[in-house]
Amino acid sequence: MTTFQQQLKSRFAALGLIVVLVLASLLLRLWSMQVLAGDSFAAQAESNRIREISLDAPRGRILDRNGTALVTNRATLAVSVDPADDDVRELIIKEQSLDKTDDPTRADLERVFGGLSDLLGMTPQEVFDKVSDSSVEALRPRVVAVDVPLDIVSQVLERQQEFPGADIDEIAVREYPYGDLAAHVVGYTGEISEKQMSSAPKTAGYELGDIVGKAGVEAEYENVLQGDKGARRIEVNASGKAQRILEEQAGVPGRDIKLTIDIEVQKVAEAALQDALAEAHRQNFRDAKAGAAVVIDVKTGEVLAMASAPTYDPSTFLGGISQTEWTSLTNKSSEYPLNNRVVMAAYPPASTFKAVTGLAGLETKVTYSGKTYTCTGRWTEMGAQWPKWCWDHSGHGTISFDGGVEESCDTVFYEIGYEFYKRKKEELQSVSRTFGLGSDTGIDLPGEVSGRVPDAAWKKQFNENYPEYQVWLPGDTVNMAIGQGDLLVTPLQMATTYAGIANGGVVMTPHVLKNVLGSDGKVAKSYEPEVLANTKISSKNLAIMRSALVRVTTTGTGKGAFAGLGVTVAGKTGTAQVYGKDDYAWFCAFAPAESPKYAVAVVIEQGGHGGSVAAPAARNILAKLLGKKITTVHTTDRSR
Amino acid sequence: MRRVEKTLRQQARDSVNGPLMLLVISLLAYGSVMVSSATAGMTGGPGLFRRHLVGIAIGLVPMVIAWAIDYKKLKHWTGPLLILFAFLLISPRIPGLGTTAKGATSWLQVFGVRLFQPSEPAKLVFIVVMAALIAEYEGRIDKPRDALRLLGYLGMAIALILLQPDLGTGLVFVAISFTMLLVGGMKGRYFAVLALVAVIGIAGILGIDATLDRAFGRDVALKDYQKNRLLVFVDPGRDPAGAGYNLAQSKIAIGSGGISGSGLGSGTQSNLHFLPERHTDFIFAVLGEELGFTGAILLLGLFLALLIASLGIAASSRDLYGALVVAGVMGMWLFQILENIGMTVGMMPITGIPLPFMSFGSSAMVTNLGGVGLLLSVWSRRYGT
Repeated sequence: MTTFQQQLKSRFAALGLIVVLVLASLLLRLWSMQVLAGDSFAAQAESNRIREISLDAPRGRILDRNGTALVTNRATLAVSVDPADDDVRELIIKEQSLDKTDDPTRADLERVFGGLSDLLGMTPQEVFDKVSDSSVEALRPRVVAVDVPLDIVSQVLERQQEFPGADIDEIAVREYPYGDLAAHVVGYTGEISEKQMSSAPKTAGYELGDIVGKAGVEAEYENVLQGDKGARRIEVNASGKAQRILEEQAGVPGRDIKLTIDIEVQKVAEAALQDALAEAHRQNFRDAKAGAAVVIDVKTGEVLAMASAPTYDPSTFLGGISQTEWTSLTNKSSEYPLNNRVVMAAYPPASTFKAVTGLAGLETKVTYSGKTYTCTGRWTEMGAQWPKWCWDHSGHGTISFDGGVEESCDTVFYEIGYEFYKRKKEELQSVSRTFGLGSDTGIDLPGEVSGRVPDAAWKKQFNENYPEYQVWLPGDTVNMAIGQGDLLVTPLQMATTYAGIANGGVVMTPHVLKNVLGSDGKVAKSYEPEVLANTKISSKNLAIMRSALVRVTTTGTGKGAFAGLGVTVAGKTGTAQVYGKDDYAWFCAFAPAESPKYAVAVVIEQGGHGGSVAAPAARNILAKLLGKKITTVHTTDRSR
Repeated sequence: MRRVEKTLRQQARDSVNGPLMLLVISLLAYGSVMVSSATAGMTGGPGLFRRHLVGIAIGLVPMVIAWAIDYKKLKHWTGPLLILFAFLLISPRIPGLGTTAKGATSWLQVFGVRLFQPSEPAKLVFIVVMAALIAEYEGRIDKPRDALRLLGYLGMAIALILLQPDLGTGLVFVAISFTMLLVGGMKGRYFAVLALVAVIGIAGILGIDATLDRAFGRDVALKDYQKNRLLVFVDPGRDPAGAGYNLAQSKIAIGSGGISGSGLGSGTQSNLHFLPERHTDFIFAVLGEELGFTGAILLLGLFLALLIASLGIAASSRDLYGALVVAGVMGMWLFQILENIGMTVGMMPITGIPLPFMSFGSSAMVTNLGGVGLLLSVWSRRYGT
């Protein structure tokens, strides 16, 4: 027995060694995992169980200058669809795959979204378009309808299994107590686009699906209006179901903004634009569909009202705009209601520019107050083969410089323009630029265009490929002198130009922000007025122009519109010729003429005559601001 | 009377192996604590825990029976035991008796009542039969014919188990045979050949590929999905996607336990259901998460002591047959410890092998306590009768 046991001894020793080796290898592995890599695994366990959900902070409100809310927030019930739902995800994967043959069919969409779309009064395709929108963070439920009536809410909740992925969420949306009033100023909001996301650092900290300003003040002051998001840390189980809230940090609401806009003036301005369009139609200008009006404080640059027609309802964008709605707002026949024509459209200023030409002429001594000209209706100074007509083909006869402004005599300004051409100093361009024309005004709104002050260098460059058109000709300066030719301005630029004339030659930067409010509702930061340009035009010459402009509204081309207003207005009519279209009606003015406060610019596309279509709109805007009576004026003024 | 009394007390003292009993009780207690913690948050948790305790109680019956039976008598029952063994493995396939769960037909079910997994007690039958067969060679297996004959029995057993199919249990049979052949005196050269065949056959496909993948830092040679397909072919109960998830969650659970663990009942991986099969196959992951490296050392220490105590019993045996039985039980435990803990830390492929004395499951409990009974039977008869 002992020999047998000795025989086995070495085999038991081997077995014992195997036992020790096996257990030691397990121990070694456990040591490396638990002791050496323990922290990293612990972190993984934490990220397994903890989900961080960002809590949207309320967006700041947008108030008018008197504190009346133009844009605020409200809670609403929304129907959302979770793209992670199995049925929904299947369709999205099919849609996104490169293989076009497996794209979801109408029947697929009907099967998954048919019930929900019937309930919401949408088509299955519309629901799917919102759900498959790849610009939203992958896992976030997509809002497909907002402001859902309660009976639909309860149906969605009760019959949830019939609507794959659908749920009800309470979300905060923008509210517009005054509907589309000042829509172009306040702008609209929408889900952040991938393009915006990449434009860091302005959008640092944003997530796909966040609501951001897309236009107007909403976009311009996004960083002020957007609050700091709160965070909620929740514990979830393996199936992602929330167990409890671990920690919650409330968001910091965005700051309220007070605008320089006065909603009462804004209402008048928008109504005045509509009246002007109606008046144009009445005068048989049937293509008049669009226009713009703006009024600013000449001393501070504050914009009191800014209207653009046609307009849109910013609430259309709540919960995401449908493709159909988007198309109707952006297609060619829509007249582009999303565009704020006050800053985004550039037009020839026509005769309203004669104030600038006149001042340039006075400053350079090309002309002077009382200088006489002869208007026969046909002007052939540049040669008989290049005749130009005064708008009044019968001619104004012997007419002074001042009378030329009053009656908007083209001949007077042809003469001035031709003189500028002959001096070869581009002085008209220089003076135009001192008013800020040809450059952005720097208003705090997105999308501003700079217009154009044409000169020889520009023309050469513009016609780079057409050598025969590169030479600056006498006609170029002559046309520019009456605000035609290649000159382009925005309505806002004309308002700031007239404000500059009113304000002793100093042009203030226009702006729509008055101040930013703190959380206590008190002013935290105010916009400080800034000088945009100093024309350094002598006060003597400004006075000459001012009295000429006053005569326009008292005895000249704008007298009909301003009859009985009770305030002296210095203004100028304009009727711009646009190739292939009806004339564009202009009116620019400031008032009261003796101690100017406000400058206004109105343009009606294809509206016809400035004096009878645009001027009445300017009259009512000024009347509102200066406490005078608002009336619908019909004049027979057909002058330019 | 006094003499008889003394003899009885002497007998009782002789037949009880104190360290072994103490270790088994400690392991059962440790396992019960872990099962209780793992099932605490589950629906029907208290019920599961009660069933675990009942499983232990049931397991005491075969333990006592095996203890009482003189193991040496079993040597003469090889024929009937072989038939029993085959019956046990085939039984789940007999219509009306078996039921299929997770792709394997490994449960015995009568009148819709699930009884047990016959492959579990079959392990003990296999040990007893193989011990008898190996013992015939009196500690010297040096003819290729003899080695092949013994391996033929193993091959037969594996063929039967793959009917279910149950890869894990098949591997247990291999481990049992290996341990017993080692003690039974098979020539080292045969082990080398066997090991070579095994390495080329299995590890050559899986292990080397895994090593290559790790060496290159990417999936080279055999692709993971191919490997999974291969394993799924052998063991349809595997879910390739699920296996990866389970392994990741198990590793996170164990690793996050750190040195001292998150505390009993406070493992988030376990309580929030990230860990699959946490009271059965992945009970060690719960232990690792909640009791940390400290708890793992304690468990491995208990297992080491259990195996050393078993080795002591094997060494105490007066005959080779007894030593072989003990070696078989040791091989079964050691391999199941390696495979079960190994799979939770990613060292071994994922199979459905429970951790001895720790995992929930009556069939395994019966087998392991039956194994303890066999050890005690050998121990209590070490002086001969």
